[in-house]
Amino acid sequence: MADTRSFLFEIGTEEMPAAPLMNAVKQLPKLMCAGLDAVGLAHGDVRVVSTPRRLAMLSTVATQTDAVHDVKRGPAANIAFDADGNPTKAAEGFARKCGIAATELVRREDTDGREYVFAEKDIPAAPAVPLLSAICHDVIAKLEWPNYRSQRWGSSHDTFVRPVRWICALLGEEVIPVQYADVTSGNTTRGHRVLGAGEHVVANPDVYEQVLEGAGVLAEERRREVIAEGIKRIEEERGGAHVDTPKKVLDEVVNLCEWPTVLVGTFDEVFLGVPHEIICESMLSNQRYFPIYDKDGSLTREFVVVGNGKPECADTIIDGNERVVRARLYDAKFFYDEDLKVPMEEFRARLASVAFQEKLGSVLQKSERIEAIAAALAAEAGVDGEAATAACRAAHLCKADLVSSAVIEFTSQQGVMGGYYAKAAGESDAVASAIRDHYRPRFAGDELPEGIEGCIVAVADKLDTIAGMFAIDEPPTGSKDPFALRRSAIGVLNILRTRLKCGYDKIVDVALDAYSSQGLSFEHDEVADNVRAFIHGRMEQMARDEGLSADTVAAVSAGSVTVPADFFVLAHALEDARSNDAETFENLATAYARANNLRDASLGADVDESLINEVEHALFCAVVQAEGRVARAMDAHDFSAAIAELASLRKPVDLFFDRVKVMDDDQKLRENRLSLLNRFVGVFANVADFGQLSK
Amino acid sequence: MSHSVSPDAPTFQDIILTLQRYWAEQGCVVLQPYDSEVGAGTFHTATTLRSLGPKPWRTCYAQPCRRPADGRYGENPNRMQHYYQFQVLIKPSPENSQELYLDSLKAIGLDPADHDVRFVEDDWESPTLGAWGLGWEVWVDGMEVTQFTYFQQVGGIEVDPVPVEITYGLERLAMYVQNVTSVYDLVWSYLPDGTPMTYGDVFLENEREFSAYNFEVADVPMMRQKFDDYERECHSCLEAKLPLPAYDCVMKCSHAFNILDARGALSAVERANYILRVRAVAKACCEAYLAEVAGSNDSEGEVA
Repeated sequence: MADTRSFLFEIGTEEMPAAPLMNAVKQLPKLMCAGLDAVGLAHGDVRVVSTPRRLAMLSTVATQTDAVHDVKRGPAANIAFDADGNPTKAAEGFARKCGIAATELVRREDTDGREYVFAEKDIPAAPAVPLLSAICHDVIAKLEWPNYRSQRWGSSHDTFVRPVRWICALLGEEVIPVQYADVTSGNTTRGHRVLGAGEHVVANPDVYEQVLEGAGVLAEERRREVIAEGIKRIEEERGGAHVDTPKKVLDEVVNLCEWPTVLVGTFDEVFLGVPHEIICESMLSNQRYFPIYDKDGSLTREFVVVGNGKPECADTIIDGNERVVRARLYDAKFFYDEDLKVPMEEFRARLASVAFQEKLGSVLQKSERIEAIAAALAAEAGVDGEAATAACRAAHLCKADLVSSAVIEFTSQQGVMGGYYAKAAGESDAVASAIRDHYRPRFAGDELPEGIEGCIVAVADKLDTIAGMFAIDEPPTGSKDPFALRRSAIGVLNILRTRLKCGYDKIVDVALDAYSSQGLSFEHDEVADNVRAFIHGRMEQMARDEGLSADTVAAVSAGSVTVPADFFVLAHALEDARSNDAETFENLATAYARANNLRDASLGADVDESLINEVEHALFCAVVQAEGRVARAMDAHDFSAAIAELASLRKPVDLFFDRVKVMDDDQKLRENRLSLLNRFVGVFANVADFGQLSK
Repeated sequence: MSHSVSPDAPTFQDIILTLQRYWAEQGCVVLQPYDSEVGAGTFHTATTLRSLGPKPWRTCYAQPCRRPADGRYGENPNRMQHYYQFQVLIKPSPENSQELYLDSLKAIGLDPADHDVRFVEDDWESPTLGAWGLGWEVWVDGMEVTQFTYFQQVGGIEVDPVPVEITYGLERLAMYVQNVTSVYDLVWSYLPDGTPMTYGDVFLENEREFSAYNFEVADVPMMRQKFDDYERECHSCLEAKLPLPAYDCVMKCSHAFNILDARGALSAVERANYILRVRAVAKACCEAYLAEVAGSNDSEGEVA
């Protein structure tokens, strides 16, 4: 390897947001190494240094590429030259491709003993700096900003996640000329805005991080350490306290400073009376403060704020932040206190003026429908007594908090605040929890409602929305799903599957009837079919998403089991049975498909036993036996047993197709055999369409 | 209400005057507010329309903003349906945009060296203007005092060159500088005998009355009608190739929409439809302005 030098490439920018910055940190070494490798510049490992205002990397790079003696073998000599020894078209083509004249081709014997022409070229070593100029430019241009956008600035048309303001690019002490947008590279970096303002010369890459630290700038790992140490100290000083640092917020905080100072602020005791969800959301999401919990897990009045100013200005910084939190919590408390003065029923009445959807009336009407659906759903799920009453009560009140000041201000606390207001108004814990939880699951992987009452209200609410949007013929399309109906359907299915264990077929009718009784007109049966098909489609997708093969899902889907809890168990049972005994199920599927193709419903399924031979008789007996056993197994929800019973039909049906000519010339025999096959197909009907497994 | 504002602290009007002076020195045209209800300083023609086209443009102005839904009857110390923004727009955005801004804070007594000033990601999008840009909200010791944005698109049109927009929340800034916890305690100015005129003296009654009007009195059918009428008028203006009066109608539509929203009269879908309608006319105005005025090289530049 040629001589090497330390290499520094720093893209200096205005403050980059945390998420795209962290993504770029991963891309940078790959892009740089790919660029260096492509031109044959030897290099060492790449180390990334990032702060909100810079994306930099350090490495060692050869001062030049290695000289290369490049040899390429061309056509055989007897093809490359004609009888007169002149180069042929083949030789000329090869030479041209290699960038030399045909006269420069060399002919000699290769290791296989035959003679060929060769193009030999000496590629001299190329100096690194011009190559690096181009690579650095391209790396800036190639960085991507997934889930984000890039921008232009000034009069330039180049883009980056934020304006690039300087580039420091050095190979040893030499500046690598790089031009991007309106910026030209140099040998200076810039320091922390107040701790090391202005430009700082970087004599060579080896002193880069030293220069940064001297200018009040720490790399990401160091900032993380400083913050972690500060938080640890705070926890220790408070005897087992815990500082809550959700990852997303912590990542942002790490990338909102170049020189972190970990500080503690305090808010007034009185605000602890405000629901803690609001306090914490306000602190974490709005201000990026970390709440402090005492050793018993109770929220305290203290919070951690990570500053980026001069450490000696800590008092000013804390004071300012405390004023901000005071203003925010004052707002929150004001809203909460005002809300508590309003009876839930009054809030609910106000829902009359809040539109749910242009064609679907007000939220008050929605809550009336939810109540009706909840009652039917409780009955369907076999929930009665107190729980059913509580579910209906919760359904009655579940949307009331939407007009409360706290929810208007902190939208994501919808439901949560309703739970508090219900409790304060003397509702039972079950009712309050159900109101609190009824928006769940709010996203993939979110928890389901805690109590059975919450599950009922959650399903009722979601089904109501789905049914309504279908009733006005605005189902979700590929790109448009403004009411998140797909996610709602998945939520409904998850709750039905794991908690309520009942089906949705009848409830869809109830939901649509609720709209009809409020005066909405639509084709009930058609819409109901569409709604069920939509939910069913989501169920199939969920099944495939959890690893079930598509044909298993299609087979079960075509059967009569639609209760989500059963659907998934049956699909898994079929999938397991198929993977344990692939041969049996393949044969069975083939036989089923064949029988199903021959099926003639007009002939019925009555078999005349006097007309059947031994083989037919064996199948007939097996079918009769299976009919009873499959039905009993399905009734008992023992799907593995039902499938095992179906599997037992394989041998007799195989034998039947092997030995019996179905389409006999004798009409009586033929029709009797077709009836037998009808009967055979009928056994499967309630379980799964095995024809789907033979495709 | 009692207050203890240090006599050394700049008054509310000092802050405006200082910012005007500061940005005037940076070559900005010091304008006055747009004389119609706007939801933000951005809506002023001097920002929205002047962002379009190739010509350089620098301006600053204080703009009263109306956000009917934010009214609190004067009972909330931090929130109002009428408040002030100080708006700066510089096209093309200069290399030292951030530094210019930080020096302006120093000019009004908030030296960044003594505080914790951060640029916190806050990308801006105005569905009603068909506009977006990337930038930050600027925090001083945790308090959001400014919105700082590099426009990328206005009225659905790519802006080239790129303007930078700096929007100061004047009340927030002043509360911080004067160290008061209620906006109504801000000292706006002093009478000759040293008696302070507070923000409350100037605007408290306005907040009470307009909160009641926006939430309780404003006539919903009339506002719907007003929206429809001005939307139609906007189209007439556009047909007559008059983008500025057309744009004026867009502001009227936008304000009618804001009042309907404050009255809680709009469903989510209806709301989205109104926004689409405003965007459609706003976009048409921007296109017309670019075609009739900003895109041509011989423009008289009469626009304010």
